[in-house]
Amino acid sequence: MTTMKLLTWLTQSLEFLGGSRDNPPAGLPAAANPVLWGVWWGALCLLIYVFCGQSSKFIYIDF
Amino acid sequence: MIFNTWAYYLFFLIPSAVLFRLAPRRLRPWVIVVGGSLFFVFFSYTTLGGLIPALCLGIFLWESLTSRFYKPKSWFCWVGVVQAIILLFVFKYWNFFVGMVWFQATEKPYWAHAFLPLGISFFTFEFIHYAVDRKQSKTEAGTLGEYLAFILFFPTMVAGPIKRYQQFLPKLRADLADWWYDWHRGITRILCGLAKKFAIADLLTAYTNHLNVADIAVANRAILPVWLLAYGMKIYTDFSAYSDIAIGSARLFGIPIPENFDWPYLQTNIAQFWRHWHISLTSWLMDYVYIPLGGSRVSPSRVYLNVITTMLVSGIWHGAGVNFVLWGLWHGVSLAVHRAYRRLRPLPENPSPASQFASWLLTFAVANLGWAFFCMDVHTALFFFRRLFWG
Repeated sequence: MTTMKLLTWLTQSLEFLGGSRDNPPAGLPAAANPVLWGVWWGALCLLIYVFCGQSSKFIYIDF
Repeated sequence: MIFNTWAYYLFFLIPSAVLFRLAPRRLRPWVIVVGGSLFFVFFSYTTLGGLIPALCLGIFLWESLTSRFYKPKSWFCWVGVVQAIILLFVFKYWNFFVGMVWFQATEKPYWAHAFLPLGISFFTFEFIHYAVDRKQSKTEAGTLGEYLAFILFFPTMVAGPIKRYQQFLPKLRADLADWWYDWHRGITRILCGLAKKFAIADLLTAYTNHLNVADIAVANRAILPVWLLAYGMKIYTDFSAYSDIAIGSARLFGIPIPENFDWPYLQTNIAQFWRHWHISLTSWLMDYVYIPLGGSRVSPSRVYLNVITTMLVSGIWHGAGVNFVLWGLWHGVSLAVHRAYRRLRPLPENPSPASQFASWLLTFAVANLGWAFFCMDVHTALFFFRRLFWG
């Protein structure tokens, strides 16, 4: 049961961080902290910058 | 490309979303119409290479004009459905159809310069949905501007998620509540989508490129499932990234659109998998194919046939090729077998962790083995299975 709860909390946290869930699950630290959001956006931008050179077409564009 | 180009963000998304929020309410649909038209012409011209694909904007204009004649219980709604199917057939399936029908002829009436208008596979769904729902009085007509805004809403135009007019219209008319919060969530979603695409989906290409006859023939057998799993992860991360960007983009306008994915690979049966994979397509197929065929309110054998037929339609829609037919059949038969099994053995109230794990593993295996027909032609896919299972 604890494992299932942890899994649910984890998926909900990921959904919140990914922008697909509006409300954070209870206990997610610093959900409202603008500095941490800045850091998160910065990390995402860095990932995009590092990997964008190999960019290819989205698969479903061709359907 | 589109969503991974600067042009999309700088010339289309940001200006249109800002203008949409600043414009008076009666002008908002027209902001989307102008933005969507420019988007279609620009990307048709630059990605499909030429003026003729760009002129396919006329399809939207023609469809919107005929849509004004759709009335509840009117036979004219069928004109809308048939013209949408004919357009899709001509552009997407004509050459496939010619190859099947005139397979012995020396001179085949192929369309030599065939091209696929941008997003035709997806906007066809929305054209059909509107025509059928108008006939069944399930939606109001809306104004010409509102309908054009619905079909030309560019974040979802090219590859969905497939919207519903009844859900879109109230959002188009509503007060735009919280600009900054919408932009915060929308930008987060777009950044996550782009990161997922670049850092995961594109990285997996190094593995999926090997799914061809030459590489499969010489590969160590143990690596074959890794390549197929890589494709399963690639298509998931690629398409869910695309959906993230589309949904995030729509959020900048303040317009929520349907979700497409909800942890599909964590599901414990194939029916659940399809309720969590490409959700907007599955729900469209349920409403406009499965239920009109009789759905679940017919004899069990007819239900199985309806399930298989619906998945066949899904397979054929994904591509004009025998491999896509087999992919649809694979999932149709899997769903029918799962349904038959559940009739014989209903789901226990508290399944044990071991049985849940076994169900998850089986679902994951069925979904991923099916990708072989999706990403390879029939000959290559069968060769892949021969090597995978018999060495």
